[in-house]
Amino acid sequence: MTDEQTARYLYAVCRDLDPAALDGVTGLRGRPLALVHHQQLAAVVSDVPLAEFDEEGLRHNLEDLAWLEPTVRTHDEVIHAAAVAAPTAPLRLATICYDDDAVRARLREWYVALMQALDRVEGCAEWSVKLLTAPRAAEAVPAGAPAASGAEYLRRKKAAASQQTSQDDAALELAARLHEELHELAAASRQLAPQDPRLSGLRGTMVLNAAYLVRTEDADAFAARVDELAADHPEAVVDRRGPWPPYSFAMLEQR
Amino acid sequence: MTVAPSGTAAGVAPRQQPRDLAPVSLVDLLDRLLGTGVVLAGDVVVTLAGVDLVEIRLHLLITSVRAEMERERERERERGRQG
Repeated sequence: MTDEQTARYLYAVCRDLDPAALDGVTGLRGRPLALVHHQQLAAVVSDVPLAEFDEEGLRHNLEDLAWLEPTVRTHDEVIHAAAVAAPTAPLRLATICYDDDAVRARLREWYVALMQALDRVEGCAEWSVKLLTAPRAAEAVPAGAPAASGAEYLRRKKAAASQQTSQDDAALELAARLHEELHELAAASRQLAPQDPRLSGLRGTMVLNAAYLVRTEDADAFAARVDELAADHPEAVVDRRGPWPPYSFAMLEQR
Repeated sequence: MTVAPSGTAAGVAPRQQPRDLAPVSLVDLLDRLLGTGVVLAGDVVVTLAGVDLVEIRLHLLITSVRAEMERERERERERGRQG
């Protein structure tokens, strides 16, 4: 039973983390968490079966929602516990090293960049702001009013399309203005790809899916400003969430 | 054993970490953990790095949702025919 080959799964890299912050938190498959240190840095790790997390295993498992969801959740729980206690750089899902020496080698190799990433996110949290337009005008046309002729049908179709275009333009413009203003209030910002409504569960067309890195002391003002902007624009839906661990802001510069 | 965090030892007050963090939805997590949460390349998954993975993942989900919707529509058509 003990000859199952394991590897080290990395959740996050923290600076000056008090190990007590992870008390009561377990890693994937209920395995205990451990810290691998290099100077001020500590990588939060646990053992995972290598067969499940090697390239072939991952290729298969990432396609399996029943595997992916609990894995993502556990990854997130560990990062949450660390991020309230110390500056934390969350790692992407399924970062695997063969053993603690390999983890330490990574910390050494990336030390300067990790310290810079942690400087960026220290004392900050991530907020998500999404902007959605109201459901499409074309769908609001009653289906029970058939066009009198082919020409009438085409006219209607064209009118609906041009109305849609101007609505889309207005929405994009609003998204740009909103983002510009919120970016000013934040330490950093990133735009992510809009989410499919079937995945997000949000109605309407997503025209902004942005992440903002906000200092803890500015969080209340930031949230209040988002809500004000939302109230000023009843034609759109503003979805604000946070504070979250700085998922979108801890990446290393990759050149 | 107690170890003073080196940030405080130098007399520099560390900036306040947020005390409370809200939960993150699955789709927002996938956005971030597969797409942008890149910090450190591990030994194993280097070749899996990149955005294409998210796209594969989301494409798959959408395909399954679409199939679900198709079945729903089919059932409605069935009901329509019977009624």
